[in-house]
Amino acid sequence: MIGIFGTVLDAAEGPRRWERWRPSLSLCQHDDLIVSRFELLHDARSQRRVEALEKDIRSVSPQTTVVGHQIDFADAWGFENVFETLHKFATSYPFDPEREDYLVHITTGTHVAQICLFLLTESRHFPARLLQTSPPRRGQTDRAGQYDIIDLDLSRYDRIAARFDKERADATSILKSGIATRNAAFNHLIENIEKVVGVSRAPVLLMGPTGAGKSQLAARIFSLLKSRHQVKGEFVELNCATLRGDSAMSTLFGHVKGSFTGAMKDRAGHLKTADGGVLFLDEIGELGLDEQAMLLRALETGRFFPLGADHEVESEFQLIAGTNRDLSELVAQGRFREDLLARIDLWAFKLPSLRERREDIEPNLDYELSEFARRTGRRAAFSREAREAFLAFAQSPEAVWARNFRDLSGAITRMCIEADGGRVTVAGVEAERRRLVSAWRQPGRSAKSNEEILNSVLSTEAIAGLDLFDRLQLAGVVEVAKRSRSLSDAGRALFASSRTRRSSTNDADRLRKYLARFGLGWDDLRAR
Amino acid sequence: MRIIDGSLGEGGGQILRTSLALAAVTGEPFRIERIRAGRKKPGLLRQHLVCVEAAAAISGGLAAGAELGSLTLEFTPGAVKPGRYSFSIGTAGSASLVLQTVLPPLLRASGPSEVSVEGGTHNSMAPTADYLAGCFLPLVNRLGPHARVDLERHGFYPAGGGRATLAIEPAAMTPFDLLTRGSITRTRAVALVSNLPATIAHRELRTVQTAFGLGRDDSEVREVRSPGPGNVLWIECVTGGVTEMFTSFGEKQVRAEEVAQRAIAEAKDWIAADVPVGPHLADQWVLMLALAGGGSFRTGAPTEHLRTNLSVIREFLDVSISLGEVEEGRWVVTVS
Repeated sequence: MIGIFGTVLDAAEGPRRWERWRPSLSLCQHDDLIVSRFELLHDARSQRRVEALEKDIRSVSPQTTVVGHQIDFADAWGFENVFETLHKFATSYPFDPEREDYLVHITTGTHVAQICLFLLTESRHFPARLLQTSPPRRGQTDRAGQYDIIDLDLSRYDRIAARFDKERADATSILKSGIATRNAAFNHLIENIEKVVGVSRAPVLLMGPTGAGKSQLAARIFSLLKSRHQVKGEFVELNCATLRGDSAMSTLFGHVKGSFTGAMKDRAGHLKTADGGVLFLDEIGELGLDEQAMLLRALETGRFFPLGADHEVESEFQLIAGTNRDLSELVAQGRFREDLLARIDLWAFKLPSLRERREDIEPNLDYELSEFARRTGRRAAFSREAREAFLAFAQSPEAVWARNFRDLSGAITRMCIEADGGRVTVAGVEAERRRLVSAWRQPGRSAKSNEEILNSVLSTEAIAGLDLFDRLQLAGVVEVAKRSRSLSDAGRALFASSRTRRSSTNDADRLRKYLARFGLGWDDLRAR
Repeated sequence: MRIIDGSLGEGGGQILRTSLALAAVTGEPFRIERIRAGRKKPGLLRQHLVCVEAAAAISGGLAAGAELGSLTLEFTPGAVKPGRYSFSIGTAGSASLVLQTVLPPLLRASGPSEVSVEGGTHNSMAPTADYLAGCFLPLVNRLGPHARVDLERHGFYPAGGGRATLAIEPAAMTPFDLLTRGSITRTRAVALVSNLPATIAHRELRTVQTAFGLGRDDSEVREVRSPGPGNVLWIECVTGGVTEMFTSFGEKQVRAEEVAQRAIAEAKDWIAADVPVGPHLADQWVLMLALAGGGSFRTGAPTEHLRTNLSVIREFLDVSISLGEVEEGRWVVTVS
């Protein structure tokens, strides 16, 4: 037990002192608590009264050894001094938590001392639990009163822990728009984002392909911060790819009237509008170098010059940047400032593509359906067969989902609009499937050329030894295989038409044999 | 291994103390489980631990699980060693509870012993040292041995600081019966005060005098020296066979007259019951008769404490104890 001698409550003289409740003494009177050692902190003036208390403690609890420590606060009500003094005691005390259990008594001492004891216990300078005492209730014959042990490890309290869990679950649910996503990697990512934005005001960088949901996630982060009262301002969203020339500077940083032709009046600019809120700059890689320099300064100092202004403007905002490009590559090309990248990629999160989150297609389907109903006021539903057909297609390697959630959302919206009587049928799904596949096949959609694809799996010499006929076919096969989960999956996609006409349908084996002709195995396609 | 259910019946410290005493008497180990299960503070408390320590000390025993809050305790006694022992218990429980625990084995030991306990000697939750000296031990001595308590200093709750010494000279125990109360030859009252005005004691005694028509010679104010304040009143009823004592404790915010009424009510109940052994004495006395191997006594309706003690005694000792209601509200306990 570590406690401070209470100069008011603990000090008492004469036989009548036994009729009074004395907190430090009471600690040694409980039937269910044995204090083996009592480290009693006191000042020089209390020496004699501490000795008297020691004697009384011995009388009620012979098992307790009282060890007095003279510590003198220069000012028992001065926070800095009390903290320093107690800190010094804590750091010099030979704690042995393996063998001993420590309690810090916080009922005695000035309020400042109590606060300091709390802080030092919370920071584990005292590896202890807090203990609070209170006098006996009226009519209670037991003179010891009550004590409560407060463990600052809040996870030990079931109800508090449950509340924290719920808060966290609510927070991640906000970030996921209430969609019960199943992809473990994505869920983990969201939990990390929740932790980061809970404690840090530093910029957040969201990376990921077009349509992976960066913009929506940024808006959800804002909603979360708003619900926790961590932001007061607005959510301001801007796609940097849309910024060109003079108006780029002006859009971002604002201008004063007459600063350029057409500047008819003052404009605040997006950075100022986002003051106290969240600024989401999508496709930040498209930002011009001048704007990058200004943005960096604004992030570092919270100040910037609007176009043509003599005075700096202040704005405190949380920046969320989005990109689908490799910013370090842009840095290497001299198109992105290295110092700005360093500033914004402290908390960088990579959003997976929809192809990498196939298990999330179903919950997103339900979300899109309810969104459709909310937006249009019309309910639409899939027949059971249609739903199965759509999910089978959506999760197959045939579904490239080139533009990720944008494609998924568009597909569902189209099917709903075209549904007769609000019922999406197998035929409707089939029509949408054909539309998507053909859209994904269009030239220029393919992210990589046949050359690149083959280079990724074969040596230059090997490619040179192939006829164009084989190169074209192999590139297509490898591309499908690379986005398939397994050899069987790829086989099913590649031989989908002929398999209905064959008696034996070992597509995987057929694919394996085909690849073997080029010296390729399944693992070769996955590894690189 | 003998297993005792610590939550049986009254389910308090009595089961533990009787078990400890009889384990030391028989030299046989036991395990007690579910100690004080269902209580607000379940498991072993400090006052129980001091009894475990005392039992272990006099019998060279080992106790596993002797920790605060422990629901299970395993006690393995060695051979009881008579001699001088001293225990410092503070105000955890009462000296008399420790003395009651060590008395049975030391009565059976091969030589005399002297056990001193420092701390609380007068606690409202336990018999007082005066009760042991004035009521219980004289009866024990009638069985054959010689036991005596010297109260060197009173120790009241909450200050403690008292000291009581139990001296025991073992001898063969010859059982006897206590079946009739006989007439009350003398009633007297004693009021103790320490560090409190003597008027409290006078007011208490005046109330008792009025209730029983006592003369001044039969009431005594004792101002005792003790570290803390304390006030205890008891009424002694002396009969041919037994001296019964009825005790009540002064409390803050309870008038002296009210304190006296509590003792008076208990004494009147006993007198009206017309049995020699009152309820508090009964559960301790049956243990002595069990050690003596016989005897009987008449008492009022058995309390939960008595029934619990009987079942623990039956667990340890090869004695038969019968309990029968002979008249309405009058029971006979027979040990054979």
